[in-house]
Formats: sequence, C-alpha cells, structure tokens
Amino acid sequence: MNSVISVSGLVKNFGRTRALDGLDLDVRAGEVHGFLGPNGSGKSTTIRVLLGLLRKDAGTVQLLAGDPWRDAVALHRRLAYVPGDVTLWPTISGGEVIDLLSRLRGGIDPRRRAELLERFDLDPRKKARTYSKGNRQKVALVAALASDVELLVLDEPTSGLDPIMEATFQSCISEVRAQGRTVLLSSHILAEAEALCDRVSIIRHGRTVQSGTLGELRHLTRTSVTAETTRPATGLDTLPGVHGLRATDHRVSFDVDSDHLDSAVRHLTDAGLRSLSSAPPTLEELFLRQYGDELAAAGDAGLTESRR
Amino acid sequence: MPSPTLAGTGTLLRFAVRRDRVRLPVWILAGAALMATQASSNQRFYRTPESLAAYRASAGSNAASIAFSGPPVGLDTVAGTVAFEISSPLVLLTVLMAMFTTTRHTRADEEAGRTELLRSAQLGRHAPLLAATVLSTLACAVMGLAVALAARSTGLPAGGALVLGAATASVGWVFTGITAVCAQLTGVTRGVYGLVGGLLGLCFVVRAVGDIASSGLSWASPIGWAQATHPWSDDRWWPLLLPLAVTPLLLLGARRLLDSRDSGSGLLQPRPGAEEAPPSLGGPLGLAWRLQRGTLLAWGLGVTLLGFVYGGLAESVKTLLSDNPDAQVFFRGNSTADLVDSYLGVTLRITALMVAAYAVSATCRARSEEAAGRAEPVLAGAVSRSGWFGSHLLVALTGATGLLLVDGLATGASRAMATGDATDLVRLAGAAVSYAPAVWVLCGLAGTLVGAAPSAAVPTAWTLFGAVLVITLFAEGFDWPAWLTDLSPLSQTPTVPAEPWSAVPLLLLVLLAAGLLALGLTAFRRRDLVTN
Repeated sequence: MNSVISVSGLVKNFGRTRALDGLDLDVRAGEVHGFLGPNGSGKSTTIRVLLGLLRKDAGTVQLLAGDPWRDAVALHRRLAYVPGDVTLWPTISGGEVIDLLSRLRGGIDPRRRAELLERFDLDPRKKARTYSKGNRQKVALVAALASDVELLVLDEPTSGLDPIMEATFQSCISEVRAQGRTVLLSSHILAEAEALCDRVSIIRHGRTVQSGTLGELRHLTRTSVTAETTRPATGLDTLPGVHGLRATDHRVSFDVDSDHLDSAVRHLTDAGLRSLSSAPPTLEELFLRQYGDELAAAGDAGLTESRR
Repeated sequence: MPSPTLAGTGTLLRFAVRRDRVRLPVWILAGAALMATQASSNQRFYRTPESLAAYRASAGSNAASIAFSGPPVGLDTVAGTVAFEISSPLVLLTVLMAMFTTTRHTRADEEAGRTELLRSAQLGRHAPLLAATVLSTLACAVMGLAVALAARSTGLPAGGALVLGAATASVGWVFTGITAVCAQLTGVTRGVYGLVGGLLGLCFVVRAVGDIASSGLSWASPIGWAQATHPWSDDRWWPLLLPLAVTPLLLLGARRLLDSRDSGSGLLQPRPGAEEAPPSLGGPLGLAWRLQRGTLLAWGLGVTLLGFVYGGLAESVKTLLSDNPDAQVFFRGNSTADLVDSYLGVTLRITALMVAAYAVSATCRARSEEAAGRAEPVLAGAVSRSGWFGSHLLVALTGATGLLLVDGLATGASRAMATGDATDLVRLAGAAVSYAPAVWVLCGLAGTLVGAAPSAAVPTAWTLFGAVLVITLFAEGFDWPAWLTDLSPLSQTPTVPAEPWSAVPLLLLVLLAAGLLALGLTAFRRRDLVTN
C-alpha cells in the first residue's frame, strides 16, 4: 500500500519550545487515520507543517508524494482542510465562504453542496459573524466534504458539534472512505476515532508513542473479564498477566493481558463457568493507559502539562 | 446604593486602568511633548515684533493654515500663535485617544466575547459602558492637564494654558460620547472606528469652512467650540458650556440605545448575505477586494468631499488677502495665482498624508487576517504565499492611487468651476497623483514589516507613519535639520502646483517602493504563518 502522508523524525521548534520532537506518521491511501493525543501534544502543529503553513526544522515530510512546503499550491488542489478553530470573515455569508474555499481547491459539486447543507442543517445566508462555533465548523466541513479531493485533513472537526451532527459527520466520513478517499482525523474524542478509524497514531509531547490498527493496539493491552462460576474460582491470582482481581463467592472480575486471556479462561472453565462477559479495551482505556504514568506524575508533583 | 445596573463599575474601571496602564500614558505624553515643542519653538522664532507681524501677515491670511489650524485669533502675541498652531493637532490626538479607549472597552470587548464572560458575573448591564466612558473622560482630563502644564513649563501664561488644556479635553469628552453612541449602533469594532472617524472628519471640515468664511458655521462643530475659547487672547471659558452640556446627553443617549439592543449585537442588524458566492469571489484577489472595498469606498467619499471643500476654498485665499493690509505688504512679491497654488500644494500634501494612512491600514489588513487565523484556510487551498499577500498589497497600492486621483479630480473640478479653466482639472489631478510613489513607499515599509516581523508589524508600521506625519507637518515649522525632513517620502515629492514637477525623485521613490515590496513578499514566503 502506498503512503499518502509519510512523516519521519519531524522536529519543529517555536523559539525555545520544542513542539514536535521526532514525530513519525504514516497514513496509507484509502484509510481513515486517527491522529490522537491530548491538548498541546502537537497535533495541530503537525497538520500545519503538512499544509506548508509552518516550516519543519528537521525530519522528512511527504504529502501526496510531494514536499508540502515547496509544492504547497499544487498539493492543496488535491486536499481539503478543516481547521480546529474555524475563524471566518465576519461580513461574508456562510454560503459564500463555502464557495470561496472550494473554488480555491478547484471546484465544487453543487448537488453535493446542497445535500450537505441540508444534512448539516446549515443556513448559508447568514453572515459568518452570527454563526456559533458549531455552525462555523459546519461551514468548513461542508466546504471540505463538497470538494472533489483525494485527501481530507480534519483537525478536531467535531469539537463544536452536537451529538446529532456528530452522527451526520460520522456517516459522511464513512461515505468518503467508501469512495476510496483518504482521511487524516485529529481528535481527542476517542469514541469518534473508534467508530471511524482504520488505524490510529497516538502522540505525546510531539512524539509518536503508538501506531497501528485498533486490533494491534488492543493486543498490547488488557481485556476486562467478569465471570460467574459454580465453584469459587481460586488461584486466579497466581496466574501470570491477571490484574485487579475482585472475587466474591461465585463471581470474579479482573483484567488480563491479551496474551494470557486463553489460560485465564481455561482456569475459569475448570471452576464450572456459568456466565462470562469479556470486553476488549476501549480506545479510552488504551489512551488512559498510555498517559496513565503522566497523570500519576502530574498528580504527584502537583503539575499539569502545558506544552504547545 | 447605586443602581444594580451599575454594579461592578468600580472593579471594571480599575481593571480597565490596569489594561491601559501603558497606552494612556503614551498618548498623554505625546500630547504634552507636542505642546512643549510647539511652545518653545514659537517663542524662539517670533521673538521680535517684526517676525510676529510677518507671521500674522502670512499665516493669518492663508486659507490653508486657517483650514488646518483654526480661527486666526490672537496672532499679535507669541502665545496666540502657539494656540493657533497647536490646537488642531492636540484635538486630533485627544479625539483618537478617546475613540480608541472607549471602543476598546465597549464594542471591542463585546465583539470578542469578553463582555459576555464578565456580565455572567455580578456586573450590571450598564457597568461596562460607564467604566469605559469614565476612563476615557478621565484620560482626556489628564491630557488637558498635561497640555496646560507643558505650556506653562515653557513659560507661557498659566491662564491661557488652562483654557487650552480644558478646551482640548472638552473635544475628547464630546467624542467619548459620540463613540459610546456609535458603539451601540454597529456590532463591529471596525464599524465604530469608521463612524467616529467619519464624524471627526465632518466636524473638522465644518469648522474649516466656518473659519475661512468667518461665518457662524464653526459653532456647529465641537472642534469649533474648543477653538472659540481663544486661549491666551480672550481666555473665554463660556464656550466650554456647550461640550459640558452635550457630553452627558450623548452618554445618556448611548445608555438608552444600549437598553434597546441585545448583548453582542448592534442596533443595525446585519442583513442576510448571499446564498452563493458571486464569480468574483473565487481567489485571493477577489477575497482581498471583497474585504477591503467597503473601507475604500468610505475613504473615497471622504476624500472626494475634502477635495471639493479645499478646492472650493481656494478662491477665499484672495479674499482673505484683500482684507489684510499687512499681508498685502508681506506677499507683495507674489502674484495671487502663486498664493492659490501654494495653498493647493499644501492641501494636496495633507490629503496625501491621509491617503498614506489608508495605505498603511490596508497593508496591515493582511497581518490582521493572518493573526486572526483567516489566512490559514485560504493558504490551505491552492494559493501561493505571494498570491495571498500580493493580493492585499495590490488592493492597498491601487486603492491608495485611486484615492489620490479622486482627490485631485475633486479639487481640480471645484477649482476649474471657479476659474473656468479646464486645464486646472488635469493639472491638479496630476499634482495629487504625483504623491503616489511616496504613498507606495509607505505601503512597502508596512509590507516589509508584515513579511519580516509579523508580531511587531502593525504597531511599528503605525509608529513609522506617525514619524512621517510629524516630519511632513512640523519639520519646517520647527526648523528641524534638512536630513530629517528628507526622511519623509512625502517631503521628497515636489509640492505641485506650487513647485515645478520633477521626475527624478519620483522615480527614486518608485524604485524604493518596489524594492521594499519585493522584500516583504520574499520574507513572507519564507516564514511560518503566525496566528495569535
């Protein structure tokens, strides 16, 4: 599979602050790639480098087989971008902004434009000044989704949308994927990433800490298991990979490392399994585990993270 | 116990003082410095009765200096010449201070959503308006006091110094009220500046026409009220009763308007926009034009009006002269035609300075777009850096050139109507457009700053413009060294029609402007986009 975005060892400094510290990112053609990280971890900075708005200090960056700084104009014809904080021209109407932005990318499909306005329930005649944050975001989304481009770069596109619009957004992205287009979706809403993404990259402090399909990431983590048995299941605590065991007479619940799930379940079967429920870790749990040590450290030192 | 709609005014006022603890002292020190410089230099120049008589003869009958300064009163004393020359610049400075201060703490905060956050706490509905206007009123009073002290420190009589200080403050108070009203009308900060600026221009023109024609028209302008105090000659206090009566009325009016509108919006509701963009809005140039055309149109109207007024007043240069026997002696060597030309040369130069201010603000628009994050979505489209920045520069350059042309045509048309000589139209239009290269240089300076030093660009560009303004207006009067005068690109332009036209300095200015613009574009292409 060929890469649409390929970043390795990317470094970007703002004065003395190092915003990106050797970041890697690989987005393959036709996939929806989740770009996850807490506030200030460097998601927007990476996207701005990918768009040629910021200049990298070190590393290699390839976008649609071009150099995002040097070939910006040619590359931008093939992509659409939704910024995280959409600011619009106060005196220009939403409909005009949609047309302007898509003309800057090389055209719009009027039927698709009308359909998206309908689906996102957006009044195109209002001046941008009178739009709420969510409506400004819808303007940028409609402009991006109505454009005929290979790649969508979305920076926390749903942070101002209500749950109904969030669902509309998810169905739009599914359609985009079905058309074979590529999406880079930066987010900290994990449920959204879980619902939409083929692969995710988790970054922290400007560095990629994990990357892969959700299945691959899950494999590295624990499954929670709750079971009822006919006889009390003893000896679970001696098994490798079992954590957080809570047991009453006939009922146990614990987390188990994915590669020890098999032996744990066998042990339960020996005790006469009556009911069993097991849940793979949610992305939220993956995320919290990834950042757990940081949260703990922050708690200890009474510090909070503040990096751009 | 004050009304609950005023709860929190004191806290807000203290906070406003803290936010403006650098800005306001800078404005006030500038006023005091201007006053002190003018007072000491006039006392040096007009030490002898002969020099004073010569000044009275020239300035007192020069329509241009009356148009820009005020009524030629009290010119038989040095102190009187100081009041004549400095009152207009002081008034302008104070009004701008009042406008920016009042707007910053009312509409600008409201537009940015800061007022909403504050109003959710224990803060009355009228508190932000009252705090802002009290702050501005106090600042104007301190400005007046500083002006009086500065004048007194150079040895001018205390009585007149106090009158001039109070008169200066009084115009600031009226414009605090006017700004407070305008801030209720429109929902946009830029719109408030437009309305207040337009009214200031109108007050200035009304007063100029009134002073030149010696009609009572000057009493229709708050600037006229202040200048009717005649500092150091009649020392009249009673004209200040007018601003003292009008200011509270304006403030009460603003409060009424505030009560009849929703928080966050203006009384003038924006009309719904177009559902689809017109074909012209398809690229960076179309966008830059769309964003700037409203401002340019307003400037065009203002400059046209100014051109007609100044051109129309040229005929009174002769009348003033025939009324003044001293002046007839002083100007004996010159024909009246020369005097009219010298008057027109000065008026065209002053308007060119205003057009330069437009050019700087239009160039800085690129920076404010970038800072607000609105350059990002455009540059994320298939638009090059040069295409985006160049579009804003192009609008600034052609807009400013168009304004000069319009000014020249308006001045020329009204002059041609008076003389019946159609060549006046072409002659004056050409004279006005001769300032284009100088104005382009200011565009280039601002453009270089936006390209190379984005964070500091806007304040630095305006500081440079302020320096050019002061040099162009005052260098000759203050007898500053020639090299300093030469630093202003406008002083490099011959004051056609009073001086012969010459191509060499203009060509050099064009080259300089082109170099600066290229530098700005190159720097912008190479740097990161910087948002606030």
